Amino acid sequence: MSTALYQHFPIFAIMALFLGAFLIVLFGNIKPLRHAIALLAVTASLGFLIALVKPVMLNGEIIAYWMGARAPAGGYAIGIALEVDALSLFFGLLIATAVFVSCVYSIQYMRHDDNVSQYYTLFLMLAGGVMGLVLSGDLFNMFIMVEILTFAAVALTAFRNTVNGALEAAFKYLVVGCMGSTCILAGTIMLYAQAHTLNFAQLSAFIPGNMNTATVVAFALLYIGFSTKAFIVPFHPLAADAHGAAPASISVLISGVLTKSGIYGIIRLSYFLFQTMELGTMQFLLVFMGSVSMFVCVTMALAQHDFKRLLAFHSISQIGYVLTAVGLCTAMGISSGLYHAMNHTLFKGLLFLAAGAVLHETGTTDLGKLGGLSKKMPWTTALFLVGAFSISGIPPFNGFASKWMVYQSIYQKAVESGNIGFLFVTIIALVTSVLTLASFVKVSQSVFFGQLPKEYENVKEVPWGMRLAMGLFAVLCIVTGLFPNAVTTYLTQPAAAAVFNVANYINAMMGSGYAESVMGAAAPAAQAVTFVEVGVWQPVSWLLILIIALLAITIVAIAGQYDRVSEKAPAPAPVDGKYDLFFGGEQSVYSQVGGEDLFWGFKHNWRGYFSFMHELHSGIVNDYALWAVVALALTTLYMLIVF
Amino acid sequence: MSIVLSAVQYLGYVLIFPGFLFCFLAGLLLCGIDRKMVAKMQKRVGPPVLQPFYDFFKLCGKETIVPAAASSKTVFLMAPLVGLAALVVLQLFIPIFQFTAFSGMADIIVILYLLLIPALATILGGAASGSPYAGVGLSREMVTIISCELPLVLILLAVGKVVGSASGTGLTFSFSAIMAYQAEHGSLILKASMIPAAVAMLMVIPGETGNHPFDAAEAETEICEGLLAEYSGPPLGVYKLSHAIKMLTLTSLFVALFLGGIGSGIEKLVLLCGLSGAAAGAVTVILGAIVLFLLCVVLTVVCISFAHAVTARLKIEQIFKFYWTAVSGLALISLVLAWYGL
Repeated sequence: MSTALYQHFPIFAIMALFLGAFLIVLFGNIKPLRHAIALLAVTASLGFLIALVKPVMLNGEIIAYWMGARAPAGGYAIGIALEVDALSLFFGLLIATAVFVSCVYSIQYMRHDDNVSQYYTLFLMLAGGVMGLVLSGDLFNMFIMVEILTFAAVALTAFRNTVNGALEAAFKYLVVGCMGSTCILAGTIMLYAQAHTLNFAQLSAFIPGNMNTATVVAFALLYIGFSTKAFIVPFHPLAADAHGAAPASISVLISGVLTKSGIYGIIRLSYFLFQTMELGTMQFLLVFMGSVSMFVCVTMALAQHDFKRLLAFHSISQIGYVLTAVGLCTAMGISSGLYHAMNHTLFKGLLFLAAGAVLHETGTTDLGKLGGLSKKMPWTTALFLVGAFSISGIPPFNGFASKWMVYQSIYQKAVESGNIGFLFVTIIALVTSVLTLASFVKVSQSVFFGQLPKEYENVKEVPWGMRLAMGLFAVLCIVTGLFPNAVTTYLTQPAAAAVFNVANYINAMMGSGYAESVMGAAAPAAQAVTFVEVGVWQPVSWLLILIIALLAITIVAIAGQYDRVSEKAPAPAPVDGKYDLFFGGEQSVYSQVGGEDLFWGFKHNWRGYFSFMHELHSGIVNDYALWAVVALALTTLYMLIVF
Repeated sequence: MSIVLSAVQYLGYVLIFPGFLFCFLAGLLLCGIDRKMVAKMQKRVGPPVLQPFYDFFKLCGKETIVPAAASSKTVFLMAPLVGLAALVVLQLFIPIFQFTAFSGMADIIVILYLLLIPALATILGGAASGSPYAGVGLSREMVTIISCELPLVLILLAVGKVVGSASGTGLTFSFSAIMAYQAEHGSLILKASMIPAAVAMLMVIPGETGNHPFDAAEAETEICEGLLAEYSGPPLGVYKLSHAIKMLTLTSLFVALFLGGIGSGIEKLVLLCGLSGAAAGAVTVILGAIVLFLLCVVLTVVCISFAHAVTARLKIEQIFKFYWTAVSGLALISLVLAWYGL
């Protein structure tokens, strides 16, 4: 087996991040060097992964890399292995992109904080942990990476420990996150006891034919473990607390990167390790948890009055879409789910950065206190709107392209399987989307539009470095929305093909013919990942027509002196009140309608539901730990019954 | 040469028919007829049918006032234009029986989302004005959108299922398939299982356009037109125009979804007259547009004017409740019937 240079790239991509972390510990006191090291590390990591696109995504190679060249001997894989197929690389690219942009943003965002070198160390540890997780080829290394990323994330959540609630949030995260990590460890141990190997490929060949009670319990443990990392219901309250307290650049990583590692873990488990996704009962579990996350979290978000907590709930709601689509076990489902996962990283990153920009300038993210910032921060407003339109699925932004595919795949699955449950999932998905829009209308009105409070008269636009970072995400949001076919062809379809091609995954690691020899004819062979879309959507042509129409209308409007004014508004308040707001003849005063005051008609009809939810989310960590235990018990029970 | 010709042709589609000029004339005319009909039903004389035209041109001649407290002048002034452009483009994708200006570009789920853009433009424009009335208005407008979304989703899914199961793919969202199905099997409204959906759609139309009794978002007597409170002059005129075009868009969407079978009747009529070739095509399109407009007038009178004349404004929570129970229930009946192949 010849080792081309690029075969070393996965380990380089991980090493660059960890090396950067250690170097910053050594040289972090020198400010320019600190930034240079961090930027270099994340750029190198991104570069190594981009270099892998051609062999892995386009040529369909699977890179199996044995540390120290310890290839399997005697039929057992003992060495530490990395295995990079299109699925791993897809998630790796997402992570590297988000980490890169977040790092660019951090430089100016964190400049007023203390201990910035510790921040970068933890930042790179977190990034390296997630990167290692998705590129790893064995289960135990995945667990180690989960530990690294959990502790880095906990520490970063409480990084601004003077912020009200930061320590509490970190503590909650620590408790439930450790329960999740423990589940993963316990599951790993049980699998090792059964299969005497930790290598992913070998496990994937061995377990499906040898399912017994122990492996099923291990599956349940691992599933719950990765669920806590993805923050899907019932682990969603942690995310809200953590995002609310963490610096915005870390929120980007927690929502865009950390939750992806959970989704990645669930895909690896259910499609590779246990190969149970053909079963309707397993599809039910994923689609059900996905739809519940989608709906519960979007309604929870509607009830929030803090910018970042609202975003946190939306983050999980969107992860619900991903999980639902992935759980369909169709080529289109996985492809659209991954597409949405990618878009989620991009638009959620953008939104968190915008929230960070608001926090950076005003010192608060309370929707009830802000307003009218678009006057002072026009760039942030425009970039926020791109993110808001993307997440609410407004054409032609990327959220629409992927959601539209998700709807199609769910409805197609419903029609193909004849299961009316999927029909209701389609409806939930479509309604969730409009509720998401409502939520972001609320943020626009409460933060960026409406009236500017007196105390924010002197607010300035954020520095260019932060705008640049947001701009990167915004451009990616628009590009991936305008060219959905390119994204599916070059990124998501190869990844979806990898998901359906378990035999190749095993053989690449263990030598060709291994999967067939262990699993017999049952080895899942390559499946075609072609799918027929039931609708049509051509964003570029649509945009072109819209621009033509808009140009025509604007030209007519300008020619007709659209914004004609008889006199310029004088700088001091005009005496006649002509430029004042209309107050029914009363004296015009500051009156902002925003935050909690919006959407009364909706909330009133659902007051029972909202008060129930309010009582349920007590904010006490004991309750959330109890939820985790109950979720584990129920999942174990469910799996023991169905397998 | 042919590129230039097709460019001119598409430009004609966008600017003249079925794009901007057609929308402008048909929409405002529809609005005038609506006002006249409401007046007749209430035993008033009412304005002349051309009154919306007069209103529009008069508003265009007036001064634009941007309030000093407006948080973003650009958004405030551009929002009406973007909303209008999005609406005109939306109209291009809705088939006029067998004729579609731009086919194969957007399906019914896309239409569902494109419909959000004009509403969103209004919301952002109002929000940018800084007026508290607009704040209340946008809250209500958004709740109205949420209210209408669920029944609309159910209706579109039902249509997609019915058409898809007939064509063998099991499911389709494409307009051309829906029109082809109706040309072959007759209008969808003739199918017993689709009648509840059609009734639901009739109820969704006034909600989407923000007409009585679902105009809590604009409530002139209460919150001074809400989102439009600070608008004056040409931007206000553009909003009034958009509102008129939205009536046309939604009624023609109803025709496309439920009455598409009439198109084959027009084609037969043209054939009977002995026309063929390009002339027949042109005559079919023109006849189709006339028939479409007449149907839109009938639908407007039925579901907008009549409702306006006989009802009082609902509160916003009543609107939400009405749509998510009664109207969604009707649509759900159709969807479930369609699901079981009826």
